[in-house]
Amino acid sequence: MTRFGRRNEDLPDLMAEAALATMTDAGVEHPAALVVAAMNPEEFTGEGNYGSLLGTRLGLSRVPAIRVETATSSGAAAVYTAYAAIAAGLHRSILVVGGEKMSHMATPRASEIIGRSIDAHERGYGTTMPALAGLITRALMHRRGVTLREISQVAVKNHAQGARNPFAHFQEPVKLEAVMESRLVADPLRLFHCCPISDGAAALLLTSDPAGSPRRVRITGIGQGADTIAVRYRSDLTTFAATQAAAQAAYRMAGYGPERVEVAEIHDAFTPFELISLEDTGLVPPGKAGRATLDGETAVGGRLPVNPSGGLKARGHPLAATGISQLVELTWQLRGTAEGRQVPARVGLAQSIGGLATNNWVTLVEARR
Amino acid sequence: MAQELRASRCPRCRRLVVPPASLCPDHPVKMEAAVLPPLGEVVSFTTLHSPPEGFRAPLHLALVELEGGARLFCHGTATDGVKIGSRVSVEAVDSVFYFSNMGFTDRARLFWRRAGARGERVAAIGKSVVKGVWNRRPRGQDQD
Repeated sequence: MTRFGRRNEDLPDLMAEAALATMTDAGVEHPAALVVAAMNPEEFTGEGNYGSLLGTRLGLSRVPAIRVETATSSGAAAVYTAYAAIAAGLHRSILVVGGEKMSHMATPRASEIIGRSIDAHERGYGTTMPALAGLITRALMHRRGVTLREISQVAVKNHAQGARNPFAHFQEPVKLEAVMESRLVADPLRLFHCCPISDGAAALLLTSDPAGSPRRVRITGIGQGADTIAVRYRSDLTTFAATQAAAQAAYRMAGYGPERVEVAEIHDAFTPFELISLEDTGLVPPGKAGRATLDGETAVGGRLPVNPSGGLKARGHPLAATGISQLVELTWQLRGTAEGRQVPARVGLAQSIGGLATNNWVTLVEARR
Repeated sequence: MAQELRASRCPRCRRLVVPPASLCPDHPVKMEAAVLPPLGEVVSFTTLHSPPEGFRAPLHLALVELEGGARLFCHGTATDGVKIGSRVSVEAVDSVFYFSNMGFTDRARLFWRRAGARGERVAAIGKSVVKGVWNRRPRGQDQD
């Protein structure tokens, strides 16, 4: 993957940087197919037909390529698509690349484009992702007793971890008071509870070759879950049914449950989402995620390290790169090469949220014995 | 009291949605027209300090649940005094929904209309007064 943050390169160059690093690492020069994830390059960069565009830029112009899009979980969707094609026997090795380039735009314009993934009627009321996250956060506090300190500690933890990840957008730790006193974005949600607007790309090589090197990790479960695009059609704001369905599908496929997971990469686009997602995936019992965070259980060095990469909060969130970058981080963790933030783990879980939790993924990965 | 709101009901699962929709979100089944009283409870609310283009800051937004379970987004002039669970009335102005806090008279009217038998009406008005006091207390474990 590339370093996330403000980048001057254009999107195809960022994607090529990530793709070449992955192909070199895997020792593969010519994958059988290419799956590209980009949420909205048409509006962010003015270019489309991204499968072919990237194929040609990478010197893989004759390699069959498709583009996948499920809003902010597009990267995870691309991994799922490649996994399915390999499982079906269509190809033996597929390069998955995802990325986004947005920091060249003014923030309100970038937010507006991200907000296209919200139901049109609700958007007509001025709802943005932070607005919906604000509604969810207030409901979470009222119904589940989650506190401002708990959602703020998620930011403190993820910034501290991101500061040890050279690929992260934010390289500086933050203090709890600074998070709790940062400016209100969508009451009760504050600026430091929100992920930044980042550029970047990430890539993975998926293969069915059983004679692979021990550096490879295995996908043992992958599941998708869906929910209504309209938030007003949902009966509960404090859990994401799409994550719960995705987790169930992934655990069923793997043949085990959350008890075997030792490290997780969670979609903390807004820090309360980390607490919701830890409970939706069953990694933490209902109602306990806030306490577990305050107690340091979810920090590097704790019982279940969550977002050792820094998460979306600190590593950054170049939309379609994110779902792939979570699996890149888990690959490094399971190989034992996550220098400076290494955790002891054999099984990892990645959870990716598309839109306002309309199209989510949970993926389980295991170190090879 | 404000006008009734146009909604749709799924003939299969009885689910209600506002504004009207052609197909049920859970079944590929044509929905039937329905109307709902413009009264409900605040599910959650927020104030957006950097709203998108075309909206003025601060933008007050609420998600309101009407009787029957249909939820809708509303604008408001303020969120002072609004709590999760507050009873509000909803009014459509140029097809945009607005919420406002219900006064005693609105609540009394609501319970009057809800109560069936004549004898129950007095009790219902009494209950609405109690509920007004009750609503000022923080609420606990119920689902939103």
